[in-house]
Amino acid sequence: MTARRFFPLMLLAAASAIFLYPFLWLVFASLRPRDRTFGGQLPIPFRPQSYLDVWDAAPMLTWLLNSVVVGVAAALAVTVSSALVAFGFAYFRFPGRNLMFASVLGTMMLPAAVTLVPTYLIWNSVGLTGTQVPLWAGNLFGSAFYIFLLRQFMLGLPRYVFEAARVDGASYLTLFWRIAVPLSRPALIIAFIFELKASWFDLMKPLIYLQDTELFTLPRGLKAVVDRFYQGGDPKWEIVLAASVVTTLPLIAIFFFGQRYFLQGIATTGRR
Amino acid sequence: MRTGETRWAYIFLIPWIVGLVLFQAGPMIASAVLSFTDYDLIGSSEFVGVENYATMAADPRLARAIGNTLLYTVVHVPLACLLALGLALLLNRITGRAAGVFRTIFYLPSMTPYVAVGVLFLFLLNGQAGVLNEALAIVGIEGPQWTTDPGWMLAGVVIMSLWNLGASTIVLFAALRNVPRELTEAAMIDGAGAWQRFRHVTLPLISAALFFVVVVDTIAALQMFDQVYTMYFGTSQAQQTSGDAALFYVVYLFQQGFQFLHMGYASALAWLLFAVIAVITFIQVKVGNRLVHYEDPAA
Amino acid sequence: MRRLAVPLALFLAAISACGGVGGSSGGGAAAGSTLTTMGFGLPDEIATTRVDAFTKAHPDIRLTINQGQFDEQAFLSSVASGNAPDLVYLPRDKIGGYAARGALQPITGCVADHAIPTGDYYPAAARQVQLGGQWYGIPEFYNSVVLIVNDKAAEDAGVDPAEIDTRDWDALAALARKMTKSSGGTIERLGFHPKLPEFLPLWAKANGADLLSADGLTPHLDDPKVAEALAYAAKLVEEQGGWTRVKAFADTFDYFGAGNPFAKDQLGMLLTEQFVVSAMAGADPDAAVTVLPFLGRDGAPVNSVGGNAWAVPKGAKNPGGACTWMKEMTAADTWIAAARARQAKRAAEGKVDIGTYTGNQKADAVIFGEMRKPSGREAYDDAVEVIRSVQQAGFTVPPSKAAAEFTTAYQQAGTRVLQGEQTAEEALGQAQAEAVKALGS
Repeated sequence: MTARRFFPLMLLAAASAIFLYPFLWLVFASLRPRDRTFGGQLPIPFRPQSYLDVWDAAPMLTWLLNSVVVGVAAALAVTVSSALVAFGFAYFRFPGRNLMFASVLGTMMLPAAVTLVPTYLIWNSVGLTGTQVPLWAGNLFGSAFYIFLLRQFMLGLPRYVFEAARVDGASYLTLFWRIAVPLSRPALIIAFIFELKASWFDLMKPLIYLQDTELFTLPRGLKAVVDRFYQGGDPKWEIVLAASVVTTLPLIAIFFFGQRYFLQGIATTGRR
Repeated sequence: MRTGETRWAYIFLIPWIVGLVLFQAGPMIASAVLSFTDYDLIGSSEFVGVENYATMAADPRLARAIGNTLLYTVVHVPLACLLALGLALLLNRITGRAAGVFRTIFYLPSMTPYVAVGVLFLFLLNGQAGVLNEALAIVGIEGPQWTTDPGWMLAGVVIMSLWNLGASTIVLFAALRNVPRELTEAAMIDGAGAWQRFRHVTLPLISAALFFVVVVDTIAALQMFDQVYTMYFGTSQAQQTSGDAALFYVVYLFQQGFQFLHMGYASALAWLLFAVIAVITFIQVKVGNRLVHYEDPAA
Repeated sequence: MRRLAVPLALFLAAISACGGVGGSSGGGAAAGSTLTTMGFGLPDEIATTRVDAFTKAHPDIRLTINQGQFDEQAFLSSVASGNAPDLVYLPRDKIGGYAARGALQPITGCVADHAIPTGDYYPAAARQVQLGGQWYGIPEFYNSVVLIVNDKAAEDAGVDPAEIDTRDWDALAALARKMTKSSGGTIERLGFHPKLPEFLPLWAKANGADLLSADGLTPHLDDPKVAEALAYAAKLVEEQGGWTRVKAFADTFDYFGAGNPFAKDQLGMLLTEQFVVSAMAGADPDAAVTVLPFLGRDGAPVNSVGGNAWAVPKGAKNPGGACTWMKEMTAADTWIAAARARQAKRAAEGKVDIGTYTGNQKADAVIFGEMRKPSGREAYDDAVEVIRSVQQAGFTVPPSKAAAEFTTAYQQAGTRVLQGEQTAEEALGQAQAEAVKALGS
């Protein structure tokens, strides 16, 4: 028994070392002076100045708050709407279902680069470019990736639970809200976290939609900072690296503490 | 009853249908129409029939981009899915406080910005000063020039891509956690070995999630852009010196659309990619329908 | 010619009707009193001094500087949607392409109305912002290419750095080999970094060839002299360890810090823009380097110049204000004030200042004729003389309507040769065909 537990643990430790290494390298390199970026591994000599430089150079706190607001709005919108649509696909059998689902998959297949400008024109026509609305409002209509993910998850839920509730006279909305949502909680949390992350790092949308420095999200703001240090030629790597670490840390905290709820979800549903 | 169900189904689909009409159909139709024009994004567009599609056939850089992208996809997707499954299985074996730390570590790469990942791996893979070759040197191997040798650049991109498995691992892990323990325990009592339990109990129950991971990862691989763009095309200096060894399809599409201002040709490229992905996904769905086990037999 | 925008506009009109909001942003303030820029940051005192000068002179204009480097997608989506900024700050070599497509408006009228003294600009910079007899931009910096020699490497090779003769290509190649140091598969010192394929125009010019006709219409990539230059420069790289190693090694250089490749003795000779010298003067005042002009095989200095420019996008709401801005930002007095601020800052930090190299000859005459005093660091004082001496020899690849494709074509060719995929003749033949196609239609 101990060997059975020990072996996977060893493998995990080895794998995590490999997965952790590049990130640790990023953190350590950001704490070294720039001429040591390539030399050595540990942050020696220790130089946290780059973080102060990033902080001084820009209104980081404003950008952080903007990122939180936009990220939560985007993640919440996409999770709720995609769950509704996914339930529609997973539970019901109706004419046109395959065609509709093909449209979901289809929207994943066209690269964003070509729909970028038409989408921009749409937001522009309703006067919302220059605001943060285009960064999240599109998510109110669901997103193919999450609809697909949640549908797959809901297809795995035991059908008899729904049928029993139907016999008891539950409405479809009750089925969705009282059964599908609680049972899919891990997948819903995954969708929320994935979209929060995607929104957190999205540079393209803020880049084309936002003009006002006060409205910048973290990546857009950091681009402004980084470009300042890029201008005239090569980048100051240590600033770029420090900026990357600053962007990433809040998200790691959210994931680390968020997975408690993620586990709760599994604990209440997984043993059924 | 039946019609009521259909009505309710469409009620649940309302967000999607509205979004499809407002935000998806317009841009898709626009790009389809543009693919038959010579459009420069700024002013005029001229109808040119199928000229853009004819140009593709004789475009050597496009051929190179397609070759690179297909090769990458064929190598990356199986490796990535198997590795993610392996990691998820490992994660599923452990419990307690350490488990949360390990999960966070495996998801860590997904929480590192693409731009940082690109920059980071340019450092790590650097043939002259990078850590990977330093490690190889310890065991007596002179590593290749991962970031500059056209014969090895794609391999370097694959290495980078295999670091970023967090999303797939978490999805598969969640699916594994939903496998009822009673089933595996019952199989164990029946004398099934570890492989048999995995093959006949676990695998069918996570097949829906696995199917999702394979399909989504394939689409993402064919649309690979961010990291490669940062590494080899992000600055004019990088673009000048990298050649076409790491030219991916969407990178080329981006160059045509936004650098050369051939949005018509770029749109045609997009629709070719759309068609290729559609065919591949269609095959995957057909194969998947035979292999994937759904709870609802009619699904 | 059918405007595709029409069906799209109908579709969009339908949407905005549903939305009910309609109408594009106005900002509230009267037009003419606001000014937005794109692609410009405030990296240093040279930028902030000039912006301050502008806001002091025009307190009525509300200025929005959208910080961050020029980004093609952001720029094009703003132009395509009629949301363009009033000003865009971008590399001069992109101007021809955008001008030809109508993304930038001609500013010839503005130049005349505001009496912008175009004769003050260096001719090479001025040519780069004109297309078809119209002005499309106002040049900013003027970056010249010089040769930086690492004195220690020269000493090791047994030559006096000041005596290095770039006219003799065989001797130059021999010197590069001598300066190179490597152990096993690892390069320790690169003898001569020829900066290919970026500097292919420079190498071609040194061999007496132009890549493109002055009118920007006829490519000459198949000129045997271009092939000879490319083959020579590629051979330099090959002899120093091969392209894959040389590039990987050069990727680790940090030209702008105290650990620059000269201080670390990682580089023997480098062809580069003068801003590298300027950054080194700030970071490493005691550097033992010699700056030389890059002489062509005929003995005349060769200098491919670059820099950014201000331009006015199509659909700019305040072109008049934009014109005022461009004039103010590039005027001789503004530049001189900025150069003075840089000088004061470097002096306060105890660092060397090699002056500010503007696109405005009149400003440079004052900056270098009156303001700048010898620093006492001979290497940098000599460098200033050298940079000033090659400025009039500056040239650029002529602006063309397909500048991006043309540049990509010859650079890809250079890379194919460096990577050993093709010979110089083959690669440039292919590039010539691509260029003819791009420039022809």
